[in-house]
Amino acid sequence: MPLDMVVCVKWVPNTQVVNIDPRTGTLIREGVPSIINPHDLNAVELGLRLKDSYGGRLTAIAMSPPSAKAGLEFLIGMGVDRAILITDRAFAGADTLATSYVLAKAIERLMPVDIAIFGQETIDSSTAHICAQTASWLKLPYIYYVVDAKLGDGKKSIVVRRVLEREVETFELPLPCLISVAMKSNVPRPVTLSNKIRAKTEGLIEVWSNDVLKLDVNCIGLKGSPTVVSKSVPTPVVPRKKLKFEGTDPAEAARWLLDRLEEEGVKVV
Amino acid sequence: MGLPAKFDVAVVGAGPAGASAAYTLARKGFKVVVLERGRAPGSKNLFGGRVYSRPLERIFEGFRNEAPIERWVKREILSFMTEDGMVSVEYTSNGSTSFTAYLSKLSAWMASKAESAGAVIVTDVRVDDVLMENGRAVGIVSGGDRLYADVVVIAEGVNRLLCEKMNIVTPLSPEDVALGVKHVIRLGTDKINERFGLDSDEGLAWFLVGKATDYMPGGAFLYTNSATVSLGIVVFLSHAVREVKRHVYDVLEDLRASLPFVRLLEGGSLVEYGAHLTPEAGLRMVPRKLYGDGFLIAGDAAGLLINLGYTVRGVDMAAFSGYLAAEAVEEAHSLGGYTSQNLSCYERKLNDSFIMKEMKRHSMVQKLMVKGHVFELYPHVLVGAAKRLFEFEETSPKLLEAVNDSLKGRCSRLRVLLDVVTLMRGP
Repeated sequence: MPLDMVVCVKWVPNTQVVNIDPRTGTLIREGVPSIINPHDLNAVELGLRLKDSYGGRLTAIAMSPPSAKAGLEFLIGMGVDRAILITDRAFAGADTLATSYVLAKAIERLMPVDIAIFGQETIDSSTAHICAQTASWLKLPYIYYVVDAKLGDGKKSIVVRRVLEREVETFELPLPCLISVAMKSNVPRPVTLSNKIRAKTEGLIEVWSNDVLKLDVNCIGLKGSPTVVSKSVPTPVVPRKKLKFEGTDPAEAARWLLDRLEEEGVKVV
Repeated sequence: MGLPAKFDVAVVGAGPAGASAAYTLARKGFKVVVLERGRAPGSKNLFGGRVYSRPLERIFEGFRNEAPIERWVKREILSFMTEDGMVSVEYTSNGSTSFTAYLSKLSAWMASKAESAGAVIVTDVRVDDVLMENGRAVGIVSGGDRLYADVVVIAEGVNRLLCEKMNIVTPLSPEDVALGVKHVIRLGTDKINERFGLDSDEGLAWFLVGKATDYMPGGAFLYTNSATVSLGIVVFLSHAVREVKRHVYDVLEDLRASLPFVRLLEGGSLVEYGAHLTPEAGLRMVPRKLYGDGFLIAGDAAGLLINLGYTVRGVDMAAFSGYLAAEAVEEAHSLGGYTSQNLSCYERKLNDSFIMKEMKRHSMVQKLMVKGHVFELYPHVLVGAAKRLFEFEETSPKLLEAVNDSLKGRCSRLRVLLDVVTLMRGP
């Protein structure tokens, strides 16, 4: 049975190159290149593996500014069949509730969908809310921390495994369902040249504004977002004591060091 | 999913040569794909800082108004430097034949022009091989993926691994290339204008030989951009490896810390640091054949760069060779196919253009440049003569006396004569 799958991804600032403003302690986002959230690539890979096994189609969805087109082209380069870029000023400023609402409505529009796949969390906010919230809007079953998946015997369900600290759990979920893929599982495959050229030449990215989705403006963007950031506290700076041992005898130096550690509350036994 | 559509032309490299070829071909209606190794067009390119404008104006419509030009060069300085001092020749004019630029921005602009003309530009692609069938190029191979095209334009840059694999050239030897290292230092427009005596749209191109490179063959350069200054050195790789007592980047650090640069660049912050190879062997580095069945070679890969000692031409020559490659493709197409014979018009076009005329005209300069003594001897002779001429106590010397005194013990007049003859003699 060929599978119709979607994978939801986020276009995020590459936090590895983000600099911190030394005065305010906040992230400087200007001029920082964006990337597809790295944990979403593991989700894309799981989708591609399912497609390799059973055939079908994998559609990537991103709710992002138009610049995310480059990221979606990258996913098509990996082997995603097509992509939908949901972009509109009306969606800006969304928290996870408003974001999951838009994604749920987009998935609804694409139905019938067998499996919707998500990354575990994003590198720029790490909430891990989106999969569960989207499932709630769609009233569909979902599961987190999936490391691999295969279809059940009747092809009407999916059997997934997740690795916990002391055991491996196996679940069977009826289709359609949502799965959130464990980070670092399913190492993403490299892009291929022919897929990259396809991304550039075959018009595989659809752009949906709210003119297409026609969602109530009270449920989307800033208006649809009840989350409030009350306060952000910069990390406290611990001043260094800058002590120096003035001497040459190693045994004496070791004794001195242990004494200083004991002064700081370290128990020396 | 099948293979993507076949292209008329595959261009390897989105630098000045590749982007110019792609732009020209796309405008002529060819289906073109450009394969670039870097993350974006231009990300692998680096140069000193000056471009001669005219050839680019012939290729790109609206070049002067649209291109990311930093400053038009209105002031040129050539300096001979020793520990004792510096002798400089300066030229100021109101001409606008060359400009300063960031090559990464300029290449990106050229590639964007090619893209708007209809070329498909794919980045982050390493081309492993030119795909050959029955002795003719029919496309390229990348990571096991094959891409077919009727003709391949190889504009892969100075490190021409594809040409090596195709046995068109032998691997580069250190004698063929120079190593360029440069700092880009942010000073701000006002400070640059004040310290270098420029107006906001006026640029300075400054070339130095002698102590600037620790007397290694090559030279140092300083170019003013709008708000930054590029300071760098270029040394022949063979000498850099054999003779240098310290790392090349230490030589550059020393230059920046020495007079007059330490004063001119005071308060500046380093915003970019880069290093790149440049072809320096002149005609010797040009492959015997720049075309074959189904392919053409352009730009640095074709060895098309000249270093005259007081200036360097590379970007304009690369771009124009890409343009001529595009013309050759069109001509071969109209002749019925991309056979070696039909593509041979590329060589004729290169020979008729300024490119080969320049390469041939200046081949003797390049011969002289690789002679190590030139870079040590003449700065000392000139600075020594100037010292005699300007620093006297009671009797002032005549000009010729000053030069003679300076030559004494350093070299024979015959040596000088021979060097002058080498320089003057045509190919």
